[in-house]
Amino acid sequence: MWFARMWEVLVLGLKNLLRNKLRSFLTMLGMIFGVGSVIAMLSVGAGARHEILTRIQELGVRNIILNSVKPPEEVKPDSSEQTWRVSFGLTFEDAEAIDATVPAVDRILRVNRIKKRAWYGSKRLETSVLGVEPEYLRMFNLEVGAGRPFNETDARDRAKVCLVRRGLIRQLETIEDPVGMWLLIGDFSFQIIGVLADEQFRSHTRKALAIDGRAQEVYIPYSTSMRTFGTITHIERSGSSEYSQTDLDQIVVTTKESDDVFPTARVLDALLTHHHDRRDFEIVVPMELMRQRENTQKVFSIVMILIASISLLVGGIGIANIMLATITERTKEIGIRRACGARRRDIVVQFLTETTAIAAIGGLFGCLFGIAGTLGIVEFTQWKALIAPHYVGISLVISCTVGILFGIFPARRAALMDPITALRRE
Amino acid sequence: MPIVHLEGIEKDYGTGDGALTVLKDVSLDIEEGEFIAIVGASGSGKTTLMNILGCLDRPTRGRYELSGTDVSKLGDDRLSRIRGKSIGFVFQSFNLIAQLSVLENVELPLFYDRVTKAERRRRCLALLDAVGLSHRLKHYPTQLSGGECQRVAIARALAVEPAMLLTDEPTGNLDSKNGEEVLKLFHDLHREGRTIVMVTHNPEIAGGLPRVVEMHDGRLSERVTESA
Ligand SMILES: Nc1ncnc2c1ncn2[C@@H]1O[C@H](COP(=O)(O)OP(=O)(O)OP(=O)(O)O)[C@@H](O)[C@H]1O
Ligand SMILES: [Mg+2]
Repeated sequence: MWFARMWEVLVLGLKNLLRNKLRSFLTMLGMIFGVGSVIAMLSVGAGARHEILTRIQELGVRNIILNSVKPPEEVKPDSSEQTWRVSFGLTFEDAEAIDATVPAVDRILRVNRIKKRAWYGSKRLETSVLGVEPEYLRMFNLEVGAGRPFNETDARDRAKVCLVRRGLIRQLETIEDPVGMWLLIGDFSFQIIGVLADEQFRSHTRKALAIDGRAQEVYIPYSTSMRTFGTITHIERSGSSEYSQTDLDQIVVTTKESDDVFPTARVLDALLTHHHDRRDFEIVVPMELMRQRENTQKVFSIVMILIASISLLVGGIGIANIMLATITERTKEIGIRRACGARRRDIVVQFLTETTAIAAIGGLFGCLFGIAGTLGIVEFTQWKALIAPHYVGISLVISCTVGILFGIFPARRAALMDPITALRRE
Repeated sequence: MPIVHLEGIEKDYGTGDGALTVLKDVSLDIEEGEFIAIVGASGSGKTTLMNILGCLDRPTRGRYELSGTDVSKLGDDRLSRIRGKSIGFVFQSFNLIAQLSVLENVELPLFYDRVTKAERRRRCLALLDAVGLSHRLKHYPTQLSGGECQRVAIARALAVEPAMLLTDEPTGNLDSKNGEEVLKLFHDLHREGRTIVMVTHNPEIAGGLPRVVEMHDGRLSERVTESA
């Protein structure tokens, strides 16, 4: 019964709105922009959060990545000398100290990395050879598409086996199955035992794991890498040559709990700072990405909230304004209704229904507008966005609230009019 | 018990020095089934009295009992309810809502009386049939003649089965033929036993009614007719 009555009031309200289509549409504009910005903000925000979460999951929520960093060139060699040695970065002692003394650490993975020229048959490649423990493959979801990953046995035997990226196969422009074929890395032959499913890490992961995007990644067991290539890298450039000595290019520290990540990172920082006389390492905490990204996100959100609030305010005022005009136009009608038994409450309900209806319709259009706007933002900025069905509900809640808030004043004014005065108005 | 019992009703417009007393010590009893005319010069306070009778307005002083209940001190919601349930208005200017169809206009008091839609429809179709407008249901007031408009207004006034019909110059805006038709409707309703209060300027109309009261500068006096 109550519902049937409300329905009738709603139909009446909609009819009145349709009677003035242009005016109703113009009144809605504020709601359209306001709700549109809210929706755009929500979907872009949700998209960003989702992306960060995937990134963090890719890098592991419990991980801290320590990278060796070459410190800025210090002692310039005198011009006569053509060869020099530098030694920097994480040491075996660091790794042992971390493993032995930091209680929150679950395990650590050692990584040795060298840049080598490689040959596949007669084709030359620039490769970045990563000596990693078998666990590393699982840790960073390096899934093998064809062939098999290397395992503990390969590691123990220091087998000369390697995994390559699919991108490398593409670069080789070969049609034969590379699994079982041989890759000459430096002076050593490695058998390709598997091809990884993905072409490359995504850029942020590559950055965090300090993987050179220009060279092709080749994975070999850590033990093999140590035995075969050792820790000295020889770089030749324009006549001069440089030998650099780095024990460990990377240590991946996994904590026991994800809550331990930030405290442990601080402990590691202190520990390494204590052991090193200069800053030749960096600490990457994947969880940190969340914080950083949230800060950039905040600026966007504040701007959008500002636009949304102003639009909603202007929209609300527009609705109130139009309703006041409508009430003046319809004074006589109000008087007639009051003479026919309408209570003040009935008049309030009637006009509030109209303001809420116009706001809600504006809100729904605003939702569409917001989705369209989001798609536009995604197109232009390459941000990620997440559009969820419940945004329609949010739009309705926001717009109905605005409609009711800004409808109360005109509706009350209509209801408080003296019936006789209202009736006498022509 | 009379339907209407007015006792020492006064109405002031404005306050303080500028106050204007429009109704002065008006007392009146109306019995059920009476058809009573209110006559008087322009500005004598007839409409003001009708507004009080119809609970659209409250007297400044005095006591008004409608069907035994004192309504002079009731709140707005109660007055609205009485207007909707016990009183049917027929105005000189029809006062139909232009945006609503004939049928919707007649349904209006029933809507506020919380009658279901189906029941509303049923009763209003019967009423519109009674006033001879069943062929104009979907029309809008602007598409009707003055006489038709007034018949719609009468049907609307009757919709809630009110205790009393109040009508202020119902024929004032009509030509003589339409006026007569509308007047005949009121006479028919009176014969059916309805209580009707009618304000009129027309001495001929007043002369044809069993009871006439006269307003003179805010005071009410009974005019004794020969037929009484
Ligand atoms: N809202 C008001 N404020 C002030 N004075 C009013 C108001 N309404 C009516 N009056 C005054 O009260 C007096 C009575 O008015 P009322 O409308 O009752 O007269 P009436 O007898 O119906 O006249 P008519 O025959 O012309 O319709 C008039 O002098 C009028 O000016
Ligand atoms: Mg009058």
